[in-house]
Amino acid sequence: MKIGTKIVLSLALLSSFSFAGEQFAMSDADRAMYSEMLENNPADMMVANGEELLAKYGGGEAGLAAFFNVSEEKLPAYIAGFPRYLPEFKQVVALDQALQGLMSKNGHKPFKLKSSDMYDMSAYAKSLANGQKINIDVNANKQMKAARAMGEEVYMTKRGGRGLACNSCHSPDVVGSILRTQPLPAIDGKGNAVAANWPAYRMTKSNMTTLAVRFQGCMNNALLAVIPLGSKEMVALEVYLTNEAKGSEISIPGLKR
Amino acid sequence: MSKSLIKIKPKKYKDGEVVKVNFMVMHPMDTGMGKDKKTKEIIPAKYINSVKFEYNGKVITTMNVWESLSVNPVFTTSMKINGAGKLSVTFTDSTGEVNEASIKIKPKG
Amino acid sequence: MQRRDFFKKVGAVVAVSAVIPAMSFAADAKKTVSKNAMSYATALNAITGGKTPTASDKVKLKVPEIAENGAVVPVTVNVDSPMTDADYVKAIHILTSKNFNARTIDIHLTPANGEAMFSTRIKLGGTQDVVAVIELSNGEFLIASQSVKVTIGGCG
Ligand code: HEC
Repeated sequence: MKIGTKIVLSLALLSSFSFAGEQFAMSDADRAMYSEMLENNPADMMVANGEELLAKYGGGEAGLAAFFNVSEEKLPAYIAGFPRYLPEFKQVVALDQALQGLMSKNGHKPFKLKSSDMYDMSAYAKSLANGQKINIDVNANKQMKAARAMGEEVYMTKRGGRGLACNSCHSPDVVGSILRTQPLPAIDGKGNAVAANWPAYRMTKSNMTTLAVRFQGCMNNALLAVIPLGSKEMVALEVYLTNEAKGSEISIPGLKR
Repeated sequence: MSKSLIKIKPKKYKDGEVVKVNFMVMHPMDTGMGKDKKTKEIIPAKYINSVKFEYNGKVITTMNVWESLSVNPVFTTSMKINGAGKLSVTFTDSTGEVNEASIKIKPKG
Repeated sequence: MQRRDFFKKVGAVVAVSAVIPAMSFAADAKKTVSKNAMSYATALNAITGGKTPTASDKVKLKVPEIAENGAVVPVTVNVDSPMTDADYVKAIHILTSKNFNARTIDIHLTPANGEAMFSTRIKLGGTQDVVAVIELSNGEFLIASQSVKVTIGGCG
């Protein structure tokens, strides 16, 4: 399996790889400038919008806590445990899906998962857990166990015209190599814990989206059939990568290239 | 209406202290030279062209702006805290749209 | 509303969540000419009225040597100045050497700013110089510039 991955990678991609340092020699001073930019994240405006939306459609923090049946004090730690199996939904759901439930319960038509209002609102809701460590429990019940296993399968399975898996580009042995000027980023807790800093603002797109939408971006680019938002497989993938980043400190909104 | 956000850094400051004022706007900053990928039509120019900062009614900073600022631009300047009151920012764009935002200034000690 | 009902509804929403094509970032077309097009030389002349600005280490211009993304290049200018009524920085002008309009932003300051600094993010259409021209209250002009290598154009 491992060897197979490497071979596929070298055949399909080697021509477009070069090693870090050759093309992408960024100095420490440059890096410092870019990290300073984190302090002025345009997504802060979107999160502020999300706060208004949650107040209007979900009764704010108090409404969200009541919906989850936890105290407001415990809400941040509870949010840091998503995706979760919620018996009312009879499935494992990501935070944005739970927010759809909240909106619906309050008599509002839920925002689509792929809508800027939902990105804003879910970013605000997740930002309530800023400073908390990701505490997803994949052994909480059989549904979570199954979701993690399915997520791992989605992550490792080679698909599409070029026979690539997520792991082909994000496994530790290729991370740092360069694909068309972009270094392949680590996306688990060992490098860049993506589950801890998405929703994030992407400067190349000038917008903020959720982690699942970012996954779809990679599926598109790597010619993998795009898994729909909210589907079992998509939530499972989020469960898998969130579990890989377990213990990382949540910091929303993120800021990406 | 453009959404905007004013932040003072640090969050707690004293009278006489020089602080950073961070102003962000959600704005497309269209240069008038870009094309819509789907319709292939030119997206008309729409960029912020002026920004004015007033502190308790006194103009402290003004800016003339052109197309080359990034989408959703950020403007950071300094300001010397000189009593409680209000900092307001008025910004206009090349289509004539005018917006205003403000924040309370509350020095501690 | 009955709890069971609304969860059914949510289920439906989840399933339907349409695949709307991702918002695309319109690329800057090369051929179109803006009425604002202005060369660097013309822009500099318009600012200084023909005076020659002095290169000065009082002006700290911070830009990355290599920009990750030409659409978002951080720029920070700090000028060493007492910012008193008698001696202050009147304006910071940021220019680019090769964008179709060299003028990027003018910041007019007053002593009430306390410090002469400005920071923003700009678009660079390709590798070029970013220039800060400083106008002092005594009428003098200072200048600092640095080149930025852009790996991907502002069309990211
Ligand atoms: C062909 C190689 C390739 C494949 C296959 C691939 N990715 Fe990526 N991925 C990249 C590159 C390159 C980037 C960085 C792009 C950038 O910086 O714009 C990236 C970025 C990401 C990010 C954002 C990282 C961050 O810093 O926040 C996530 C999340 C991600 N990928 C998840 C996935 C998932 C999930 C899959 C499988 C469905 C996948 N990727 C498949 C190449 C790949």
